[in-house]
Amino acid sequence: MPTFSEHVRGLSDSALTALLLARPDLTFPAPTSLASLTARATNRSSLERALTRLDAFTLQVLEAVVALDPVEPITRTRLARALPGAPKAALGDVVDRLTTRGLVWGARHLHPAPGLPELLGPYPAGLGPVTGQAADLDALTDAPAGSREILDALAWGPPVGREPASPGAAPAVDALVDRGLLQRADGHLLLLPREVGLALRGGRTHRAAVHAPPAITSEPVPVEHVDAASLTAADDAVHHVHELVVAWRAEPPAALRAGGLGVRDLRRFATRLDVPEDTAGLVLEIAAAAGLVTDDGGAVARYAPTLLAEEWLTQDLPERWAALVRAWWTTARTPWLIGTRDARGSAIAPLGPDLQRPWVAPLRAAVLGVLTDHPGRSASADAVLDVLEWRTPRAVPPRHAIEQLLAEAQVLGVTAHGAISTAGAALVRGEDPASALAQVLPPAVDDLLLQSDLTGIVPGRPTRELAALLDVAAVLESRGGALTVRFTDASVTGALEAGLDGDALLARLAHHSRTGVPQPLEYLVRDAMRRYGRLRVGEALSYVRSDDPALLAGLATNPRLRALGLRELAPTVLVASAPADELGPALRALGLVPVSDGAQGTVVRQGTGTPSPDDGARPVAVPSARGGAGRPGQGRAAHDLAGPVLPEPADVRRERVAALVARLRSAAPAPSDAPGRRAAEPGTSEPSDALTRLREAIDAGRDVVLHVIDASGRPDRRTVRPLHLDAGRLRARDVAREAELTVAVHRVARVDVVGAADPPKEPHD
Amino acid sequence: MTDGPLIVQSDKTLLLEVDHDLADACRRAIAPFAELERAPEHVHTYRLTPLGLWNARAAGHDAEQIVSVLLEYSRYPVPHNLLVDVAETMARYGRLQLVTHPAHGLTLHATDRAVLAEVRRSKKTSGMLGAMIDDDTVVVHPSERGHLKQALLKLGWPAEDLAGYVDGEKHAIDLSPTDPARGDKPWGMRPYQAQAVDGFWHGGSGVVVLPCGAGKTIVGAAAMARSGTTTLILVTNTVSARQWRDELLRRTSLTDEEIGEYSGARKEIRPVTIATYQVMTTRRKGAYTHLELLDARDWGLVIYDEVHLLPAPIFRMTADLQARRRLGLTATLVREDGREDEVFSLIGPKRFDAPWKDIESQGYIAPAECVEVRLTLPDRDRMVYATAEPEEKYRLAASAAGKVRTVERLVAQHPDDQVLIIGQYLDQLEELGNHLDAPVITGATSVKERQRLFEEFRTGQLKVLVVSKVANFSIDLPEASVAIQVSGSFGSRQEEAQRLGRIMRPKADGRTAHFYTVVARDTVDQEFAAHRQRFLAEQGYAYTITDAEDLPTS
Repeated sequence: MPTFSEHVRGLSDSALTALLLARPDLTFPAPTSLASLTARATNRSSLERALTRLDAFTLQVLEAVVALDPVEPITRTRLARALPGAPKAALGDVVDRLTTRGLVWGARHLHPAPGLPELLGPYPAGLGPVTGQAADLDALTDAPAGSREILDALAWGPPVGREPASPGAAPAVDALVDRGLLQRADGHLLLLPREVGLALRGGRTHRAAVHAPPAITSEPVPVEHVDAASLTAADDAVHHVHELVVAWRAEPPAALRAGGLGVRDLRRFATRLDVPEDTAGLVLEIAAAAGLVTDDGGAVARYAPTLLAEEWLTQDLPERWAALVRAWWTTARTPWLIGTRDARGSAIAPLGPDLQRPWVAPLRAAVLGVLTDHPGRSASADAVLDVLEWRTPRAVPPRHAIEQLLAEAQVLGVTAHGAISTAGAALVRGEDPASALAQVLPPAVDDLLLQSDLTGIVPGRPTRELAALLDVAAVLESRGGALTVRFTDASVTGALEAGLDGDALLARLAHHSRTGVPQPLEYLVRDAMRRYGRLRVGEALSYVRSDDPALLAGLATNPRLRALGLRELAPTVLVASAPADELGPALRALGLVPVSDGAQGTVVRQGTGTPSPDDGARPVAVPSARGGAGRPGQGRAAHDLAGPVLPEPADVRRERVAALVARLRSAAPAPSDAPGRRAAEPGTSEPSDALTRLREAIDAGRDVVLHVIDASGRPDRRTVRPLHLDAGRLRARDVAREAELTVAVHRVARVDVVGAADPPKEPHD
Repeated sequence: MTDGPLIVQSDKTLLLEVDHDLADACRRAIAPFAELERAPEHVHTYRLTPLGLWNARAAGHDAEQIVSVLLEYSRYPVPHNLLVDVAETMARYGRLQLVTHPAHGLTLHATDRAVLAEVRRSKKTSGMLGAMIDDDTVVVHPSERGHLKQALLKLGWPAEDLAGYVDGEKHAIDLSPTDPARGDKPWGMRPYQAQAVDGFWHGGSGVVVLPCGAGKTIVGAAAMARSGTTTLILVTNTVSARQWRDELLRRTSLTDEEIGEYSGARKEIRPVTIATYQVMTTRRKGAYTHLELLDARDWGLVIYDEVHLLPAPIFRMTADLQARRRLGLTATLVREDGREDEVFSLIGPKRFDAPWKDIESQGYIAPAECVEVRLTLPDRDRMVYATAEPEEKYRLAASAAGKVRTVERLVAQHPDDQVLIIGQYLDQLEELGNHLDAPVITGATSVKERQRLFEEFRTGQLKVLVVSKVANFSIDLPEASVAIQVSGSFGSRQEEAQRLGRIMRPKADGRTAHFYTVVARDTVDQEFAAHRQRFLAEQGYAYTITDAEDLPTS
């Protein structure tokens, strides 16, 4: 019978490529030879990893193979008999898939990969120990009463039972043991042999094949309702982020020293949005993940909008929303943990470093994948969990996380009424969510109803231009299907400050209004115009005043004083951009005698460090945000704060794997080489190879020369026989010193198989 | 998704586009459960509040009806959580009921045991509830009927009061078929007045909301006729008391001897007694001295005029009057002190409401035009104002000297109208009186003198009358078609409504009323004015702003 190693060596290039693609962990780091690939593919952690990705049906098939392998040869037909109800095509697919992954091998007869039986435990599919004896159920005919019941109780597993205490049971047990239908183990335990179990089950390993995931059977939700509600949510989410950018542009909050945002700033933001704090936390995290806000990296770090945010603000709703949900789709952040306590008992801060969870992005994809598979159905966390449990029974995600991810999806409008929206499905399928949203978006309204109570109402979703106008000139009162704003003295003045001319403002309002501008509103704008600019503020460091306007006029135009930046504010007052202690001597140098002006007769001095009015409020430049190389939207902030788990693009991966296969092929010995000839292979300093080598040495009971770096950093070299390798430690016997030693694996610099050719010279060796 | 006139916002406001074809139908459909918040020219804003929903529930509407109305008229999809919220809020009303048990008297009966358990555990109800009769019913101390209703409302489980009312002492009252003031011509109630009376009577107790000038007194009289019992009427002041008396004599079969006045001046207790809030809340040595009035007779009906002004002690007394039928009358449920919930729990839910503009368009109240006149202060006055103490600023601005000239010009614009000038500061009013050669009525003017002047004004002998804020409440000046407000008390919306009410009564010749406010530009006066005007615009009155300099000179 061929071995698994031979099977691997005999794989075609395409099969090898498929194996490496299906089990990517085998390529990190790249194995140096087919032998080491075989070793890696059968070690426990790699198998474990492969199993966690199998669905319940595939696991059933694998269990059947593992259970049947020691008992009888397994053909595909036999397998179909073991799993009643499994459609033939599905079963074939699963066997192929398992073969591709190197978990099952063999052409005519199927075998499990070495290591799998250990991994699946002693009783695969609830079948007991192998005895090598064919089960003879006919022997039951003359067995004492109750025998059949005992066997039936153990038939479907677990195959271990306690010996019945009733006095009548003992003869039955004895008879069964005599007939080889039952085994006694320690402590009154009874074991049902595998062959007997199979016979009792009629050759089946499972009662029924679970070849399809549980269906979601909730009431269907009309897709228009879902899309409408998700649109509202999407609009809200975009609005919230918009508010955040605007708020932080005006007033960038300080970052905590340990990273993250203070709870007070979170609360303030939640109050501003009038949303619960957890929603506010989600908004912050998504804005950061999308690279719209970041900490500016200053000495006293503050959070501020990025340049990308400025661009984002000018985009239309679908694009803005798409930027947010794309960032959410890949982020590894878990906003729902904000405010919970970490291991040290301190509250976890939003935007802080403690919210990163690498498993979140794959789980999000899985959860929404379930929803996308059931369009128009509302799926609860429990329903999603059932499906995911079928998909990966060996890695069941926490229900709480599913619940939170569903809640996040709802807040963002990816789902609504518990079902995936059209735009959400586009996101999941990797299509363009923006254009999908744009399709369900009602047409924008360019009309504004202006009323004499100084409110304005847009009966629908405003056009971008109208929204921008209202954003600058009015205060938002309520949102939803329509937009209600109020014009106030302050808001109109704000528009004037933003550079909008009053007449232009009125003209634009009139343009949008079907009913003209009401007189009170026009009056308000005119009144604001009248007052605007009545007070003017500027900067100066010192002044000169005199009752003699002619003298001052002379100073202002004197070329020798030009450096002082003297300007006339009024006929009797000049201001200078130089401080008074420069101005005084300069005037003295002209032969004038200025007297110091001040409340106590002291020189009036002002600080020399001029605070810039927009200090800290400038947008933070994110280098890669505009750089050509980075993916758009993946600024520094995105990497620092969000660290999205970006899947390797499929084509890149394929290329890398193909190159690897070619390398393996060239390094592999000819198929005719016996496995025993490994001793001839040269030593290795490749860490993973070193481990394979040690494991092989353990298996073969062979000595190796171990190059270790001792605690003080000096290299040392010993001939040892490796005994055990586990948890990063190698236990070995020093052959020369007759002593056992334990070495941390990371101290092993190199492993040479004894008897191998001299190792190549290493520079530091 | 329909092309309806209504837009439902997620913050529970409803926007109604009034020019829409279905606007009227929609307004009628949502009026029972949504509070009209503002009604400017194009889009009216309604709001869903718990009180509003409970008011609707009390009037027999259920959540399904409301949800279907919202869905039917809404232009965009209605937020799902809002619908859920409506259903949940409405379901809270009536889980608890106050009923009379044949053996145990007043009891609180629950249709939901968990709710009963919750309220029994609450501290707010301690001392009000007695022993459990069965799992769903608990004894209520009769004296705590009102307090319990207040407490339950605060807990968010408003109780439905089905315990009924004492019959009261019978006293037949009929509406008179003819109007002696109009040469004994026959008269009848206007349709909305009849609806209001019906709404009240079927509801048991509650509040009828009608704008000033819409004939609230007649609703009161009709309610008395329906009740046919002795009645206690509580009003804001003596002048108002006299008007009630006159109106009752005119509209009902009651005679002078049957109507008593219980005020500071007179203490008559008759089958129909009109008392002022002031006398009821008078205290001597910390005790209310006139409480016995409440028990002086077995009143079958208690009427509260101007419910939005009801002082706190009256609420406390009302809590003890829960076994008597109560009718509240008001122009607005908005209270400056935000005690709308006490009105709900102690007087009762809103039983009838009609928007001002609707009644105006039916021709029952006069159309009005509101104008704000902005006066630029001379530089000297601005300097004084700028450097004044903050507490002096309003007074300085409100009583600016230039206002007198402006008022003169305004009066000159309306030579044929009855002009009322309303102000806050007595010296300013005196000055105006002198300049315009018009009498001034203040709190110091005797009731007799007041009535004489009002009478002269009514008959048209007097063209211009200057009044202080005593005119705010319940005086009746049918032919005032122009009001000029020169100063007011710090931007009170309710005051604005009252003052506007002065000129809202329909004019014999159907002319438009004018309401002017004179304010000093760039001062707190203007800010307060802005606050008040917002109210006017929200009520749907067109208002414009002009500069005092632009007024035509006489």
